[in-house]
Amino acid sequence: MAGHEDKPARVGDVMSRQVFTVSPTDTAQSVARLMAEAGVGALPVEAPGVGTILGIVTDRDILTSVVAKGLSSSTAVFEFMTVSAECCEEGDSLLLAAQKMHDLQIRRLVVVDEKRHAAGIIALADIARVNPELGGLILDGMNRPAAEPAQLEGVSS
Amino acid sequence: MKVLTQDRLWSEAVILEEPRRVLRVQSTRDAFLCLKNHWPLPDGKAKRDALAACDRVIDGLDAPDAARDAFIKAAEEAKFSVRCWTGG
Repeated sequence: MAGHEDKPARVGDVMSRQVFTVSPTDTAQSVARLMAEAGVGALPVEAPGVGTILGIVTDRDILTSVVAKGLSSSTAVFEFMTVSAECCEEGDSLLLAAQKMHDLQIRRLVVVDEKRHAAGIIALADIARVNPELGGLILDGMNRPAAEPAQLEGVSS
Repeated sequence: MKVLTQDRLWSEAVILEEPRRVLRVQSTRDAFLCLKNHWPLPDGKAKRDALAACDRVIDGLDAPDAARDAFIKAAEEAKFSVRCWTGG
C-alpha cells in the first residue's frame, strides 16, 4: 500500500452521477425504451417539475407487474413502481450503503441530495468494483431467504 | 449519445397504431427514442424535422408541443394510424 492514510470510501466516490429519471405518468413501454437506450435496469421516479424522488422502477417490475399480469404496455409507472425507494446520500460510507443493500436485499440505492433530488445511483457492482469483499457480503445477503413481510425492490422470493 | 437525462412532457399523449403494435408517446425524450430506434422509415423529411424539433425542445429552445406536432407529422409520413385528441 502507498504511504498515505486511507480514507473510508464514500458513496459519492463510486456512484454513477448520470441519472435518468422518469415521471409517474410515463408508461411501461416508454420506460423500457429508455432502459434499452441507456443500458440501465432501474430508473428513479421523480415528481415532474419538482424533482423529488418518489420511487424507483426496475426492468423486473415491468416483467413481473406488467407483462406477467397481462397488463397493457401503456400502464403508467405509478401503478407498478416501488414507492419510497431506498435512498442514501453522497456522504454516506460505502459500508452503510452496503449494509442497507444487504439488509433489504436490493442491488441499487438512489443517491439523493438535501432536497431529495436524485444525485446519482449506486449499485452493488459499484461497491464490488472498489471493495470486492464488501460486494461479496451483499451478494451473500441476496441469497438468504427473503425477509418476512416486506416486498422490496429487487427482492427475489 | 444525446443527453437523455432530461425530458419534457407533452400536454396530450399521441398513440400510433400499426397492425401488430401500438406506440403510446407522451414526452419529447420518448418521441426521440421512438424516431431513433423504433421507426419503420429509415429516413424522411418529417422524421428529420421531428428529430430536430425534439433536440430544440430538450435544449429548452421550443415548447414541448412543438415536438409533439412534428412527431405527429413524422408518424403520418411513416403511415402510422395516429390517434390523439388534438391534431398536429
